[in-house]
Formats: sequence, C-alpha cells, structure tokens
Amino acid sequence: MLLLVTAHLVLAALLPTVSRWLGRWAFAVGAILPAVSLGWALTSLTEVLAGGTVDESVAWAPVLGLTFTLRLDILSLLMIFLVSGVGVLILCYCVYYFKPDAQSNSRTSALLVAFAGAMLGLVLADDLFTLYIFWELTTVCSFLLVGQDGNTKQQRRSSIQALLVTVLGGLSMLLGFVLLGEQAGTYRISEIVASPPAAGALTSTALVLILLGAFTKSAQVPFHTWLPGAMVAPTPVSAYLHAASMVKAGVYLVARLSPAFSDHTPWWPLIATLGIWTMLIGGYRALFERDLKTLLAYGTVSQLGFLMVLMGAGSHTVAMAGATMLIAHGLFKSTLFLVVGIIDHQAGTRNIDELSGIRRRFPVLTVIGAIGALSMAGIPPLFGFLGKEAAFEGFLESGTTGDLVVLVGLVLGSALTAAYSFRFLWGAFGTKPGVEDSSAPKPSLGLMVPAAVPAALTLLLGVVASLFNALATTYAEPYPAGDHPYYLALWHGFSLPLLLSAVVVASGVGLHLARDRVVRLGGWLPDFLQAQPGYERTVAGLDTVSYAVTGRFQAGSLPTYLAIILLTFVLVPGSAVLTGGSMPEELRLWDSAVQVPVAILVLTAAIAVTMAKRRMTAVILTGVVGYGIGAFFVLDGGPDLALAQFLVETLTLVAFVFVLRRLPSRFTQVESTRSPRWPKVAVSVAAGALVAVSALVFSGARQAPPEASEGFVEAAPEGAHANNVVNAILVDFRAFDTVGEISVLAVAATGVASLILATRRARRPSAAEETEGPRKSREVRK
Amino acid sequence: MSEGPPRSQPSGEKKRRTSLWEEWDTPQEHWLLVGSHRDGRERSLLLEVAARIIFPTVLVLSLYLLFAGHNRSGGGFSGGLVAGQAFVVRYLAGGPMEVRAAVGLRPPVIIGAGLSLAVLTGLAPIFWGEAPLTSAYVSMTLPVLGDVHVVSSLFLDMGVYLLIVGVVCDLLRTLGAGIEEQSPRPRRRPSG
Amino acid sequence: MNTVNVTVNLTMALTIGGLYAVGFYLLLQRSLMRIIIGIVIVGHAANMFLQLAGGPPGRSPIVGVSPAEEMTDPLPQAMALTAIVITFALTTFLLALAYRSSVLLGHDEVRDDVEDRRIRRQQQRVDEREEPDEPGADRKFEFGTDNDKEATR
Repeated sequence: MLLLVTAHLVLAALLPTVSRWLGRWAFAVGAILPAVSLGWALTSLTEVLAGGTVDESVAWAPVLGLTFTLRLDILSLLMIFLVSGVGVLILCYCVYYFKPDAQSNSRTSALLVAFAGAMLGLVLADDLFTLYIFWELTTVCSFLLVGQDGNTKQQRRSSIQALLVTVLGGLSMLLGFVLLGEQAGTYRISEIVASPPAAGALTSTALVLILLGAFTKSAQVPFHTWLPGAMVAPTPVSAYLHAASMVKAGVYLVARLSPAFSDHTPWWPLIATLGIWTMLIGGYRALFERDLKTLLAYGTVSQLGFLMVLMGAGSHTVAMAGATMLIAHGLFKSTLFLVVGIIDHQAGTRNIDELSGIRRRFPVLTVIGAIGALSMAGIPPLFGFLGKEAAFEGFLESGTTGDLVVLVGLVLGSALTAAYSFRFLWGAFGTKPGVEDSSAPKPSLGLMVPAAVPAALTLLLGVVASLFNALATTYAEPYPAGDHPYYLALWHGFSLPLLLSAVVVASGVGLHLARDRVVRLGGWLPDFLQAQPGYERTVAGLDTVSYAVTGRFQAGSLPTYLAIILLTFVLVPGSAVLTGGSMPEELRLWDSAVQVPVAILVLTAAIAVTMAKRRMTAVILTGVVGYGIGAFFVLDGGPDLALAQFLVETLTLVAFVFVLRRLPSRFTQVESTRSPRWPKVAVSVAAGALVAVSALVFSGARQAPPEASEGFVEAAPEGAHANNVVNAILVDFRAFDTVGEISVLAVAATGVASLILATRRARRPSAAEETEGPRKSREVRK
Repeated sequence: MSEGPPRSQPSGEKKRRTSLWEEWDTPQEHWLLVGSHRDGRERSLLLEVAARIIFPTVLVLSLYLLFAGHNRSGGGFSGGLVAGQAFVVRYLAGGPMEVRAAVGLRPPVIIGAGLSLAVLTGLAPIFWGEAPLTSAYVSMTLPVLGDVHVVSSLFLDMGVYLLIVGVVCDLLRTLGAGIEEQSPRPRRRPSG
Repeated sequence: MNTVNVTVNLTMALTIGGLYAVGFYLLLQRSLMRIIIGIVIVGHAANMFLQLAGGPPGRSPIVGVSPAEEMTDPLPQAMALTAIVITFALTTFLLALAYRSSVLLGHDEVRDDVEDRRIRRQQQRVDEREEPDEPGADRKFEFGTDNDKEATR
C-alpha cells in the first residue's frame, strides 16, 4: 500500500517530463496509477466485506515509536472508490478538456496525480501522524491547483484563502491528535477506536480541536467561504478536489472517529448544529447563484453539512445512510461538474442567463445531467433517493427530541437541495425567453464518457438497490443494529420517510417555481453573520496588529536587539539557574596564588578597554587581556593551548593594526548623545554575573569524572602512538573536527581576500583617486 | 643627532597634520635609516637585518614544533602559527615585497596545498580497506638516523601547518598589502 | 585527573564574569571596532570557560611526563584550541568587514535597520493621525471567473 502511494508521488514527479513528449496524453498516463489502486481495492473487496482488513506498517523512527501504518478497511475502501475511481475519470476527461498545447498541462497533470497519491495515503492511514502528513499534502496540492499560475488576483486570493483556512484547521487538528494520542497512550487509529480514552476535559479538548480541522477541510460554516472561492480552478480540478475527494477528508475523519467518540460530550451537538446550519446556509445561497459552477459549489457545501451529520451521528441506520450518501454524492457531484465543464467547453459560458436551448442541442448530455441533478434532489429510482430515505428513517427510529429536531433540519435542507437541483436543471438545460438558442459544437466522446460513467452508476446502484447493501451494512457494523436492521431498498412501504421525501420534492418544486420572488429576497444576511467579510476582516486585522507590534518593538537598532537578547538570557535561564541550581559547598578562592595578580591584570585591562578613547589603546589592551588568558592557560597546565593562545593573540593584534591604519585614531563620540550608558552597563554586568554564577553552579554539579577523557588518555600511547594527548585528540581521535577547523580558516581567508580586494574595484576610477586622495583621507582623519 | 618628525609636504597643498600612527611608524633616528627608499616608505636598517637573521631560526623552530608535537608540546597549529609570525616579521620590516621574496608561491596555493594534504591523508586509508582518518604507524630502522617512528597523522599535521602558513601569508597580502595599495600614499621626502 | 573538587575557583569565576560583562558592554556599542573587540574578549572568556570545564589546574596532559592522576583534562583543551583558531578566523573576517565599511561609507558605525525604521515611522504617522488603517480595503472580490477559458479554448 505504501508502495502504491509512493508510486503516485514518483509518477507525479516524472509527469512533467512525460508531458513534454506526449502533450495532453500525459493525463492518460497519470490515470494509470489510480486505475491500479482501484483495481487493487476491488480485489480486496471480498476480504474486507467479510470483516477483514489489510495492514501494512513501516517503522521510520523506531526509537521514537513513529511508524507509517496503513490499513484498508471498509471506510477506506469506500473512499478509494471515490479517490481513485473518480480520479481515473477526471484524468481521462482532462485529456480532452484542456487545450493540447496549454502550458499548464504538465503542472496540472503532475499535481493531480500527486494529489491522488496523497489522498490515497490519507484514507489508508492508520496512524495519526501519517494521516496528518497526507492531510497537509492535500492542502498543498489544492493550494497549487487553485492558484494555477497565480496571474490574476482572483487566483491568488482564493488559493491563499483556501490555504489559510485549511492550514488553521490542520494545525489545530495536529494539536488535537497529540492530545488524543497522549490520552489514549497510542497513536494508532485502529487501537484508539477500539479502546477509546475515558471522557474528560483533555479528551473533549482534543476532540474539539480535531473537529475544527475536519470542519475547515469540509467547508462547514463559518469556514465555508473558501470553497466557492476555489472555483477559480479549472472544472476538472474542482470536480476532483472540491467535490469528490479532498473536501470529503473532514467527513472521513469524523466517520473514522465516530464509532469511539460519538457519545462524548462535545461531539454530536457540535457536529449536528454546524452540519445542519451549513446544509441550510449552503442550500440557501445556492438559490441565488447565476454561475452554474458556483451553484454547485454551494450545493457541495450544503451536502457536506448533510454528510457530517450522517457520519457523526453514531447509530446503525444513520451510518448506513452516511455510507450511501458518501458514494452517491461523489457520483452525482462529479457528473454534474463534468457536465458543467462540457457546457462551458462547448458553449463558452456558465452563466444561467446566457444559456438556452442546450436541451435540444445536446440531448444525451441533458439525460446525463438530469440523472445527476435528480439524484441530488433525491428522486427515486436514483441512488441519492436511497440515501435520503435511509437518513430520514435513521432519525425517526429513536424518537428522541434531539433526533427529531435534526430531522426537521434535514428535511428543510433537503427541500433546499431539491430546489437548487431543479434550478440547476432549468439553468443549464432550460429554454429562457429572450435568449437565443445555443449553437455550440458537439462535445467529443472523450468528454462525454467520463461524465456518463458516474451517471450510469448512479442509475444502476439506485435501481438494483441491494448491490450496495453489503457495503453499507459492513460499514455500519460497529454500531449496534437492533432487531430489524435496515436494508437499502427502493420501496419500504408507505412509511413516514416516504412521506417526508414527497414533502421535500414538492417544496423543492414549489421553491423553484416561485424563483422570482425568492430571488428578490436577494440572499440577504446581516453583515456580521456573513463569513467572507469575516475572513477578510480577520486577515486585515492581522496585518494591522503586526504593523503595530513591529513598529513599537522593533526599533531597528542593533544595541536594542542585543540588549533584549541579553535580558532574556538573564531572566529565563538565569531564573532557572538561581532557583534550581545550588552553589557548591566549598569554594576555593584560588588554585594557585599566581592566578590572583594575573586575574587583576586581565580585569583591569578589560575595564580599561571600555574606557579607551583611542582605537590603538583599546586594541593593545585587548592584547593584554589575551596574553593574560594565555598565562592562565600556562598556570592551568595546558601547554599546547597556551602556545596557541599566545600566537593567535599576536596575529590578532597584527590584523587589528593593519586595519587600524585606515581608520580614524579616535572612536567617534556619538554614543554619549544618543542614549544613557547605564542601561547598557546594567545589562552587561547582570549577564556577566549570571555567567559567573553559572560557572560555579555547573562545575559544582559534576558527579563523576569524565569517561571520555580518561579513555583518550589511556588510548593515546597505543592507539595514536602519541604521548601528547591533546595533539592525539586533535589529529587522530577527532581529526575530522580538525579538518573542518582548517576549512573554516581557509574560507575566512578567502572571504577576507574578496572583501579587501573587491573594495579596490569599488573605488574606481583610480585616476580621480590621485587628486581626491588626500582630500578624502583628510575627511576620514577628523 | 636626530631630525624632527618628518612632515609630509605635498607640493602646492596645505600642510596637514600627521596622525600619531604615522609618527610612530616612521623611524626617526638618522642612523636607523637606509639611504634609498622603496615603495615610497622609509626603510629601517636595524629592523631589516634583524628580520633576515631571525627568519630562518624561527622557521626551524616551527618545524621542530611540528615534528615534536606528537610526543611533546607542539603540533601543527603551533608550528604553523610560529612560521606565520616569521613572515609577519619580514612584512613589518620590508613590506609586501619582502614576503613575496620569501615565499614564491601565491598564498592561496599554499592554503590549497595544505588543505589537500590534510584531506588526502584522511582519505588514504580507504585504499587499504580501512575507515577514513584511521592512522597508521610505521616503525623502521634507517642507517644514519636510527629508529624512526612515523605516524600517518603527521601528514595531517603537515597539512595543517601549510594551511596556517598560507592563511597568514594571505592575510599579509590582503590586510597588509591590499589595504596599503588602496590608501592614498603619503608622500614623504627621503631624509638626509 | 583531579576528581576531588572540580568546581571553578572564585578568582576564575570572577574573571570570567568580568570579561563577559566587558565583552557584552562592548557588543552593545555603535562603533563596529568596539563590537569586534567585544567579540574578541567574549571569545577569550569563552575559551577560558571551556578550559575550566576540565577541572582545576594540574600537570600537562602528556603521557610520560605527568602521572595520569595529576593530568588536566585534555578534551576541553583540545576543544578550546579549536575554538581559539576559529575565533581568529572570525576576527579577521570581521576586521575585513570593518575596513570595507569604513572605505565605502566613511565611518564604521552600525546604523539602524532601514526596513524596521520605515515601519516604525509609518506606525508613528498612523498613531498621530489616528486614522484607522485600511489595509483590507481592496480585499473584496467576487466569485467565479473564467479560468477555464484560458486552458480550454
């Protein structure tokens, strides 16, 4: 399974090269892998239906317990039908949809295949972090696909909005995963679902955070506005990502965790409220759209709300309804999007007001579109009807008030769904008075077939209702079934769900016939409730806040920044050392009496450096400090070290003097006017004191002699054939570090050479130098 | 008898104050100065002769430090730094020409040679099937010198030595001569 | 190696603290040369600190010269040696920077960051005028465009 996912990604990396030779047939090449996944899923069908699973696990950080675990069970299987099945259709459709020589083909094909692979990994993931990784991979693919080449403002805005909203959800979801994993003691999803952690504050927080991630991905209110905005992408991309697969990821997550958590406190109320509200809002907004694609987008938002409610409910029949609607929605939405794509491709417009007479011109297309739309509306004998019936039945069964409220919401939402489905049918295929009939060329077979396949499946699965029954029942197994488990069928007798369906269809027809009056309502919502202005205000607010904070705290001066760093150093580790560390009991004043005068010399020289007015004085005093340190090394018994210190200090002095020739002899006196000295003194003294205290505390904390050094001393005579242990360490035991060190020297020398010698070039022409020279040097030597 | 500090008097320009640095830098005693001047700077006899005498001795000291480093204090770093100091003394005495006279190669070449030697020493064990940076020990009896023990890390030390010498010479070339070339040359009258 | 009492003695602790304080003070200055000197002094203090981690003074770590119990710890010495050489390389590089800065700009002062100052000035202007900034004014946009046209005709 991991091999399949990786193969997708590898193929995606190769596709740009392939598309250079094959042009638009690269899409067909890309369709191979999703077809393979679909075939593999179908072969595993019998095993999964019998209740088994296919597991695979690859440990990539065994020490930390991190593994890639993949697992195929019924839910993953259903999702694979959507991800890979619809993927194949979309990729074949793309062959004929895009211009053969379009620049973006290689990019789009590669991204679509990469997305298919990431989505496949997502639905197969059995480990929380694996799921997260693939989740964010799909976000990235979506960002790149929606943004296309980023030429227009729309593309950039929409893709950034999609990215920001879904990544916000993704990060909170990650936090929720971590909390959940810690509570459950394991990060494997199957184990968490099998034995969920006890209900408590932390678990509830984790669930809310995870739900936030699911809601943003599946475009629930108030995060739903990125989905209509993402319609700037080409139609096949919208059909794949934003109708059939990516937006289902949130629903999938909810379905995955529902068996374990549906009775935890925050789960059902949150999902039910937001799901119903989304269904209503989405349906409501869809009634006012003039662009067919945006209409379908809002329809998707509404249906996703519906799916959320179904998947999160936690009862047997509703779960069966959920599985049915999952597939049904994938099928009819992809059909509808592909039909819209064909209409757009041929007629050149998607606007309702400009389309007329399509029905007469493309009868086959009309039939395909009608099947899709009627399935969306829930008309028998189509697959969507089966799902709706099951949903109504599921919420009627228990008879609790909560469920009845949900049922009312679902009925209203379905009525709106029916209304906008009829609106779609009328808008795409109807004859409008005053608009001339379309004279578009006939679409090619390559476009029609991928649109017809899902429509045929919708019809087939609806008519032969028992085909899907086994899958739905297996999916609903974790929930207790009761005495008479539900089964999918077209006719259950004259029951309440049937009546409700009739009511739904009737009100849908009514709403559609009264469309003029409805349109005059104008899609009015109070401004503060609208989600898109809310998003815009949030992003604008972030900009303002960042300007304010940066303007106030980041003054731009280097001493200020350093002072802040030092203060933080004093406060944070300092407080830790002072509270947690303990001073050693016996403190020696000195180890050798000679250390005291040398220390006095060094400190005096150092303090004198700060007060020196001339540069040369400061440099010479620094040399004194360096030689004093060398004396310390001698006293401490490190002859090699002392040698190196003396020599290096001499060379440093030489380098200083070389550069000082070019600079004024005195330091410039700007600091006294700028800012008072005492804050700098205070901060540095505090930091220095902290270092001294830390030295005492750390050195006093040692419990045992170091083993590495003893090992080196023992190994030096035999292993390195050396008596000088320090030298043995440098050129033998740790020779690699020495090679690195000399490389640093070489690089620094090269850097110095380029800096100094390049200045020569920066100061041309040299002829002017001769006359200007003395004048310039006079300025410098003020 | 000594002259006052030499003043720079470019013809036709105002007299300008010399900086303290120039006053220190320029030898003042008559008997310290050589008759001719090179590159427009005064030459100090004492410094030049002393530099020429010290130079070979210091180099021998640096070689001693290099070879003795393995068993007594010393090592490639100390040896290379001491050798570098020798070149610094020559530079102080005679300017960039002195350094170029002492070492024929361009400093970056020396740096590269040192680095290559060190890295090749590190990689050589691969040809004998060992891990890189393994050291080998060869002990042989030579006719004149007697028992000779050579450890392969000596070559690494030699690479370090060469590199440090090269770096110091490069610093003399850039920070020393490079800055000099770019400064406006103070016009001095040769004294006496 | 001396394992009895390995704490740093008071004199050395004071020395290190004092050197660090001086180094930090110099780092907070405006003149680049002072900053470089500050880095050099902090480097000295850090090397000292490193070597002190090896314990109190002892005899040099050369087998055959001193018995193993009286040797100082050779590992921090080797690390300090490496650090000294690398600090030297860094110092020469910084000096070259100071030189170049003085040649190109005429001074060796560290000036304020241009971009930060610009934001600060802008913020001050906004505060003074007390106008609400409208960075989101151009953010309204409509849905649905004809991206498909580009790719499909």
